[in-house]
Amino acid sequence: MTAVVPRLRDDLTVAVAGQGGDGSLTLIGLLTRILSPRGFHLYSARNVASRIKGGHAAARLRASLADRGGLGDHVDLLVAFDDEAVVRIGPDLAGDAIVIFDSSAGPAPTAALPPGATVIEAPLSRMAVRDLRRDLFKNSLAFALLARTLSIPDAEAVSCLRSGLARLAVGVREANERALRLGFEHADSVGLDEGSGPWSLATGPAADHLLISGNEALALGLIAAGGRFFTGYPITPASEILEWMERHLPGLGGVVVQAEDELSAVNMAIGAALTGVRAMTATSGPGLALMQEGVGHAGSAEIPLVVVDCQRAGPSTGMPTRPEQSDLAMLIHGGNGEFPRVVLTPGDTADCFHLGVAATALSRRLQCPVYVALDQAIAQHASTVIPFDLDVAVEPGAVLDAVGLAALGEYRRYRVTPDGVSPWVVPGTPGGMNLVTGNERNEWGQVSIDPETRRTMMAKRARKIAAAKDLFPRGRRWGDDAAEIGVLATGFAVAPVVEACERLAATGITLAGLQPRTLWPVLDETLEFVRRRRLTFVVEHNDEGQIHDVLAAEGVPLAAMRGIRRSDGLAFTPAELASRIAAGVER
Amino acid sequence: MTVTYAPRPPIWCAGCGHFGVQAALDRALGEAGIPPEATLILAGIGCSGTIQNNLGTYGYHALHGRVLPAATGAALADPSLTVIAAGGDGDGYAIGAGHLVHTFRRNPALTYLLMNNATYGLTKGQGSPTAALVHPEHREQALDGILLGLGITASTFLARGYSGRPDQLLRLIAAALDHARAGRGFGFVEVLSPCVTYQDTYPAWDAAVADLDEETGYDPSDRAAAFATCLRVMGEGRIPTGIVYRGGPAAFVPDPGPAALDLAAATEGCRTIMDGYRV
Repeated sequence: MTAVVPRLRDDLTVAVAGQGGDGSLTLIGLLTRILSPRGFHLYSARNVASRIKGGHAAARLRASLADRGGLGDHVDLLVAFDDEAVVRIGPDLAGDAIVIFDSSAGPAPTAALPPGATVIEAPLSRMAVRDLRRDLFKNSLAFALLARTLSIPDAEAVSCLRSGLARLAVGVREANERALRLGFEHADSVGLDEGSGPWSLATGPAADHLLISGNEALALGLIAAGGRFFTGYPITPASEILEWMERHLPGLGGVVVQAEDELSAVNMAIGAALTGVRAMTATSGPGLALMQEGVGHAGSAEIPLVVVDCQRAGPSTGMPTRPEQSDLAMLIHGGNGEFPRVVLTPGDTADCFHLGVAATALSRRLQCPVYVALDQAIAQHASTVIPFDLDVAVEPGAVLDAVGLAALGEYRRYRVTPDGVSPWVVPGTPGGMNLVTGNERNEWGQVSIDPETRRTMMAKRARKIAAAKDLFPRGRRWGDDAAEIGVLATGFAVAPVVEACERLAATGITLAGLQPRTLWPVLDETLEFVRRRRLTFVVEHNDEGQIHDVLAAEGVPLAAMRGIRRSDGLAFTPAELASRIAAGVER
Repeated sequence: MTVTYAPRPPIWCAGCGHFGVQAALDRALGEAGIPPEATLILAGIGCSGTIQNNLGTYGYHALHGRVLPAATGAALADPSLTVIAAGGDGDGYAIGAGHLVHTFRRNPALTYLLMNNATYGLTKGQGSPTAALVHPEHREQALDGILLGLGITASTFLARGYSGRPDQLLRLIAAALDHARAGRGFGFVEVLSPCVTYQDTYPAWDAAVADLDEETGYDPSDRAAAFATCLRVMGEGRIPTGIVYRGGPAAFVPDPGPAALDLAAATEGCRTIMDGYRV
């Protein structure tokens, strides 16, 4: 079965699937050590059920010399530890896919495979238990077959295993190495010889890369911008931010509290923010619903606050491990009354860092809540990014110290100013005592229901956003800006849209693309983008068209937009988007 | 001297118990030499939730029931502040009861004055979780915040005072402030503070309060004995007051706390974290 000339791959998607706890993430981790030094960009996704162990679990890794930032159309190489893995991933396999199948319980269910697929069978689990006394070593056996399939020299696979498992106990490392060598022997016995597998890997310019998830990049951005107080309550898929903060923030002198619920989390962050500390919290839709009251309070009382929403499929508890973009209406309109707020929407992992920085600075500058809206895929999937510039200028905000305060004849916490932002004196500052409240109040912070005061204060708060339009992060663009057809997407919809646009351009359909990074307020550039086109496809992961509706409310004619939507928990593939856009353009 | 807000006269009805609480707090702060600029009073929603407007300190008006999370956040962010949370029995025993439980457990270094008048005064007299204190025929039993606190072994300071006993109340608030400022933790003071308009309990509470200081051999560091004594006193139809419990583990107080950090010095720390993700 050994190919004479291995086929060179520069874009490869690998899936490892079995039952939760099978260790598929370990195998993916080893593979990244093979691929990254060859200059591949990586995108690592996982698909698990909401349970600790068991249930179908799959990890996917896309490796491409082009920076894709999302999964492609197909899975090229599948490591399947059971029948279910083959049956479930079978429909996603490329026509010429290779499947490494654990045949411990019998032959692969080939009916589930495309006709052109190649199956490499080995009783991985049985060999691991028989020769090494532990099922988990099947991963290293499989790694041997993977390496041979990709024509990786044995020595490189061995050294990769050693460095990848360096943190494990010596005995475990040695057993894994024995498993790897057993795997090579098995490969020899089926004619899968060293250095001459069916495929080989292309190489590109090696780059200095991080492999990091959106949640982690965002957390780093928050603290790089000065965030020093974090509260959270565990919830999928935002828990990693809480865990990350617990691991890293105390070392920088910050404080992390795991609250008793989201009501407490948001109000603890508000209390910390009152003292002038940059405070933040993170949650997902159900938790955000509970936090609405606190966010509105921060908006009314003019307290800076960063709130991260890692959106998952709703409504209610919905599908905790699946992505969606269905909280956007809640972020933009939720809460009682009307108050200034900002909603930022990152489109890839690196953007999470940058918008974490921007959210911290904007909330400080505008003294209002700023949301960062991720989705489960952006939050939890990892990808390679260029290391971030950490020399972030910390936004000081309009904070007055004792000297600045002394220069004023009088100090009013809610002083009416041209840009709506009032000078801020934090507790502990001599002579600056003030009152902060979510009730309507006069400039002194004293509760008031006087109609004139009310009009003045409503206008002051609204002005904070209107006067700051130049400060909000501008969108990312791609494609041909002169095109009469546009595509607009946020979050994990961006990567497949960009790839679809590239493919359509090659067929003569030119498109202009925009990822609004500030979804609320709606920036002029977003409206202009749509108004300049005959038609804009608004791609979003919800059923009701929440971004579509926001644009419509800003005056975009309905005939100028066409929605492309999914709310089944799955990502768009570039191929699906290309065909839906092409069909829509021709209509 | 910069002019800032002028404290207004309280909004309370003449004769309201809250006047006594405010006077005791004002005096305790003064006697302890805590300046207004180092004092942050956070208050909930209700008649009691206006006390922060009246003393010339830094003041914050929290959401209904959420004063303890906000106060915890402030105390952990800037431990140099004297943080005082205040609210009523609706705020602390009804909508915010979950936070009270976890604040006992978390034991932050702050003082909480819960003004218990067994009614919702500001919304005009509905029954509160302590309504049965004055209406024994009420079909729901009263919640006792002191017994609740005793039942959580992380609690460190539990006291009950009465607006009608100003000297004792001053002592209790001063002791709670000391407790919090010394980093011992959460100083909880429930004050029986009658609502003269909807629930005038002065006559009943004048007769019912029992000062545990007057109990022979009462030891406020003995949690089990404190619980037993409270039950016995309550069984006699009286209400235990005084320092009911003081002891337990120390508070977590960050040093120096996030508010005192030099943010510009943290780039290298962030770089070390980021380097952990290199491939």
